Amino acid sequence: MAFSRHTEDNLWTLIAAPTVWAFHFLLSYVVAAVECAPNSDIFEPIGGTRLLVAGITVIALVAIGFVLWRSIREWRYHGGGYRHNEDTDLDRERFLEFSTVLLAALSFVGVIFVAMPALTIWDCR
Amino acid sequence: MLHDPTDPHPPPEPTRSRAGAAKAVAAALPVLASCSGPQSTFTAAGSESESILHLFYVMLAGASVIWLFVIGLSLYAVRSTPARDSARIGVRLIVWGGCVFPTVVLALLLYWGLEKMPGYRRPADGPRIAVSGERFWWRVAYDVEGEPGIVKSLPTGGVESANEIWIPVGRRTEILLGSPDVIHSFWVPALAGKTDMIPGRVNRIVLEPLVAGVYNGVCAEFCGDAHAQMGLRVVAVPEAEYAAHVAAMAEPAAVVSGRGVDAFLGNGCAACHTVRGTPAAGSVGPDLTHVASRLTLGAGLLENNRENLTAFIRATDHVKPGVQMPAFGMLPDDDIAVIANWLGELR
Amino acid sequence: MSATHDGRDAEELRKGQEERLNKVWETPKGWRYWSVVNNTEVGIWYTATSFAFMLFAGVLGLLARVQLAVPENDFLTASFYNQVYTLHGTVMMFLFAVPIFEAVAIVILPQMLGARDLPFPRLSAFGYWCFLIGGVFVSGSIFFGAAPEGGWFMYPPLTTQERFTPGYGPDIWLLGLSFIEVASIAAAVELIVGTLKCRPPGMRLNLMPLYAWYVLVVAGMILFAFPPLIAGDILFELERLFNWPFFDPERGGDPMLWQHLFWIFGHPEVYIVFLPAIALVAMIIPTFAQRPLIGYSWIVLAAVGTGFLSFGLWVHHMYATGLPSISLGFFSAASEAVAIPTGVQVFVFIATLLAGRVVNSVPMLFVSGALAVFVIGGLTGVMVALAPFDWQAHDTYFIVAHLHYVLIGGMLFPVVAGVYYYWPLVGSRRLSDRLGKIAFWLMLIGFNVAFFPMHLSGLMGMPRRVWTYPTGLGLDLPNLISTVGAFIFAAGILIIVFDILRPKGNQPYAERNTWNAGTLEWLSEVPGKSWGVRCVPIIKTRYPLWEQPGFMEDYDKGRFYLADAEELQRETMVTSVLDGEPVQCLRVPGPTFMTMIAAILLGAVFIFATFHWWEATLVAMVLTTISILVWLWRGTSLIPEKAEKDVGLGLSLPLYKSGPQSVGWWAMFITMVGDGTAFLSLVFGYFFFFTIHEDFPPTGAPTPGLLWPLVSLALTAGAWAAAWAALKTNKAGNVAVARVLMAGGTGLALAGGAALVWAPYGAGLDPVSHVYPATVWVLVIWTVAHAAVGALMLAYCLARSFAGRLTPVYDIDIENVALYWHFMAATGLITVAAIGLSPLAA
Repeated sequence: MAFSRHTEDNLWTLIAAPTVWAFHFLLSYVVAAVECAPNSDIFEPIGGTRLLVAGITVIALVAIGFVLWRSIREWRYHGGGYRHNEDTDLDRERFLEFSTVLLAALSFVGVIFVAMPALTIWDCR
Repeated sequence: MLHDPTDPHPPPEPTRSRAGAAKAVAAALPVLASCSGPQSTFTAAGSESESILHLFYVMLAGASVIWLFVIGLSLYAVRSTPARDSARIGVRLIVWGGCVFPTVVLALLLYWGLEKMPGYRRPADGPRIAVSGERFWWRVAYDVEGEPGIVKSLPTGGVESANEIWIPVGRRTEILLGSPDVIHSFWVPALAGKTDMIPGRVNRIVLEPLVAGVYNGVCAEFCGDAHAQMGLRVVAVPEAEYAAHVAAMAEPAAVVSGRGVDAFLGNGCAACHTVRGTPAAGSVGPDLTHVASRLTLGAGLLENNRENLTAFIRATDHVKPGVQMPAFGMLPDDDIAVIANWLGELR
Repeated sequence: MSATHDGRDAEELRKGQEERLNKVWETPKGWRYWSVVNNTEVGIWYTATSFAFMLFAGVLGLLARVQLAVPENDFLTASFYNQVYTLHGTVMMFLFAVPIFEAVAIVILPQMLGARDLPFPRLSAFGYWCFLIGGVFVSGSIFFGAAPEGGWFMYPPLTTQERFTPGYGPDIWLLGLSFIEVASIAAAVELIVGTLKCRPPGMRLNLMPLYAWYVLVVAGMILFAFPPLIAGDILFELERLFNWPFFDPERGGDPMLWQHLFWIFGHPEVYIVFLPAIALVAMIIPTFAQRPLIGYSWIVLAAVGTGFLSFGLWVHHMYATGLPSISLGFFSAASEAVAIPTGVQVFVFIATLLAGRVVNSVPMLFVSGALAVFVIGGLTGVMVALAPFDWQAHDTYFIVAHLHYVLIGGMLFPVVAGVYYYWPLVGSRRLSDRLGKIAFWLMLIGFNVAFFPMHLSGLMGMPRRVWTYPTGLGLDLPNLISTVGAFIFAAGILIIVFDILRPKGNQPYAERNTWNAGTLEWLSEVPGKSWGVRCVPIIKTRYPLWEQPGFMEDYDKGRFYLADAEELQRETMVTSVLDGEPVQCLRVPGPTFMTMIAAILLGAVFIFATFHWWEATLVAMVLTTISILVWLWRGTSLIPEKAEKDVGLGLSLPLYKSGPQSVGWWAMFITMVGDGTAFLSLVFGYFFFFTIHEDFPPTGAPTPGLLWPLVSLALTAGAWAAAWAALKTNKAGNVAVARVLMAGGTGLALAGGAALVWAPYGAGLDPVSHVYPATVWVLVIWTVAHAAVGALMLAYCLARSFAGRLTPVYDIDIENVALYWHFMAATGLITVAAIGLSPLAA
């Protein structure tokens, strides 16, 4: 089975989106931890850091969005559907694509969740 | 620090209606309402504890509904005979019940929680008190200087006391928290959540009692053998009374000479304890200048009376296993009695 | 006529095959029994041992409950109570919850994958002995009143400084558990390689049993979660043994670093415990719903998603530490998000039950109990994930209730369901339905009576880890009820123990595939055979026993691969990761005492270090190294007598593979990922201090400078290049050059290590004086130790080459060593960058 113009999915492509989530999480945490290191003024607004988190978030959402878009497109191209329990290359591919769709969707939501604190908290208190 | 006018999100004032709502829920749950007491979060006598209790009741209601729904659904699923399209219904169940519903509910809950968070830590407008968690008691100093977040160790000075904190009702009192030995955690359930006291760091919590009263505090982080018996009392009083109390605490001891003082000094008690006005100036143990005015002995452990004072001096490690103070049971009864009598006069 | 003749021939052939298989896989008798390495035996030892630890910890839990039954009780002293609760948590988490996953997986995973064994049976056996020795050491300490009493989280400075914790308690905890962590990581490596490379032909990723998916995810999580704890343990032990001030604020340390490292391990661990139990549920539900699971991909989503998200939760154990709200917010968000995949799993199970005709049984009973209990724990989890509510609930009995609802509902009930479900595979008979039901109801009722009131007592102001509480606060009644419930619960457990241990001689054997399940482990005959699988089947569906007609007959007749053991060697099949295409016929090693000896010696290293017997420690270290070398020399990378063998059905497979196609290469890769994680955790420590201090290194403090670190880096890079070139030249047949490169690489590696030690030593960095020199020294020691191991590896290859055990074709050794050196080179580079360059930035 040829998959011209398509990525052949594997375990690495499967975890691409959650890996982006993990980096987004780590960076957001580090940025805030450096800004709000112990012994800094806790009531000073940290607009710059919040903007930085927003920037990281946009990048992460674009990256995950790309994975999501690509995997949805390929999953549909390969016939979509929720059943992929046949012993064929096509079903294995569709299974990986659909699982990638699900993981990318979860990671997308996860990134939005993690970005929320930068929306509601404005200093180091 | 007073309330910062540039604060983009002015903190919500505790309002009657919100307090009313929480109370209404509590009334509807008589079991929970009966769980209040001086050490209970259900007492909700502070602005923070009241708001968190409200949060809890809302989450509790939601959780109960969700649990009943999930369990009802599983029971039905186990008993029902499968229909033709039950596989399709199953997938829908996963999508809506397993994904969409939790995502929406959790997003709303998270936003609500995050949005409330800065309010709990908004600036104080009352006195500033330093509390140091020590094995296994609390060192208290009223009216200290030092900006939270900037200072690296608990500010010194102030009016020293121990195991009892008085605070004014209706004001936001800032408590600076630290520790010279191990990690402790400062928790007054009826007033606010807990905050750890970590060696090498200064943490901060704000207590805003809405109702006058005496509330129990406990150490909530395991700190050694006497962890279970490291309590304190928080006395919330009107502002004028608070000022009078701190002024009284600043005074030297009421009785500074006599047999009791001699026995106290002669038996080495001054190596650890301070009684202002006498030569006793030890700094290891609690300041005893006004020990008789306190509600409890042994860090929230015993009622403060002559008998307990005697017992505490004589068999310290029996009354409070793990305590750092050695027992003075080897002293003649007479010495213990005069010391206890004298300490009992230090109001 | 000729048909019967053929039939008789075929019958003879089968008999011969079975005889040979039996002979090869036979379990040794007598005292030699303990040299067994086969997964069926080792897995059962492992399971039984972890259950024994669970019962022990359960008794400790009951002791604690008796003490708390009434206020101001003096049944236990404060100090003994603290030992009791510390060991209760420690044993339950480290000696039951995590090992039981490995134990059960070692038993059933190969069966489920139609494999004769896991790829590294001796590694499993080694892991088991480590676990047993370490576990007995840690648990036994309480009988000498020397058990750790700082809580299972061991927060410094309470536990690091002699003045607060005299004695050996924390050392026993740290060293005993570090030893067990080694075993956990060994099992993780084994299980990952087993899942990826030892599946039966045709079992593509989309056909893998869900249990295998969970095992893959959980073993991957162990690989990233345990190393930070090991790094923390190293810092902790250096502070306890040598007074290096990592957690001492007076010399620049910070107790918070331990909390970070501990919980980066500690939270994923909760899911490491929970997911494998849910994996059992994912196997049990389809069997009793008598239909395939609905939402296979959704389970994969949930398992993988949880695996990732669980690494973003650790600070929710630290909400009360005064961290900035915005930091708490990130962790709060991830903690809420992780509830989504968890919810998905619950609904997948409900959907499957809905679409199936459910057969009532004891395993199903426990599964439904698990669901009811776990959902409560999950919902309180959503509550405490919100930081403000947690400020009230944290470190109170509310959390005690929450965690027991999660762990007992999410782990113990499913595991008991699994015991009832899989017992026929192990014990050849079913457990009693009647006893199972009684046990279930006692456990369900007892559990809720014990733990539900704790929600209340916690919110009523009862902190955790208190050995007593005052009367008059309304805590008396809920505590008394909890104690009564705990005993009812224990009665249920006791009935299960009785059911398992009671003699069943007069009870008939269970039927084969007694629950009519669809997956491969149920191919097992009753009573089971030591060969594991009769032959390695070809898989075309997710539930072959249901969906592949004539499957069991073909299997029994040996009509698939490897139905014979012509050369009387233990063999299993290696396949490709994505599609399970046959790649290699793997010879797996048989019984040996080497694993036990190596584990005993390694245990001696840890135990001697605990009691500061330094000379004995050093001797034990040398002996451990020798024993491991002997084990490797005699048991690994054996050159087969022929290049290929016919595995049946006209397929011929190579007997030896090296490089990325071999299981050994994967194991090395995976091990080094875990090792690298531990190293990065130490680097995290360095930068943690960098951010919390205004000047780090402190102004005027000596630094290692640039010269010697760079010299060391150059030498290390040289050794790396030599290792790589040795691999290439050896492959090209240039054995002499390869040997020179191996020898040169050994020398360069040692010289690089020496230069790196000289950097801080020559500059006079005193690790006791301040946390800065201490962190520099830790990075240096880590790197130098790895360089020394790398040198030893190259020397080993050299010796193998001279001994004719490493040739241009049979070159697994140098392949794996070259791979090791890639990681070693990265380690050296990062260390030099951290200690050499960061002082310039400051």
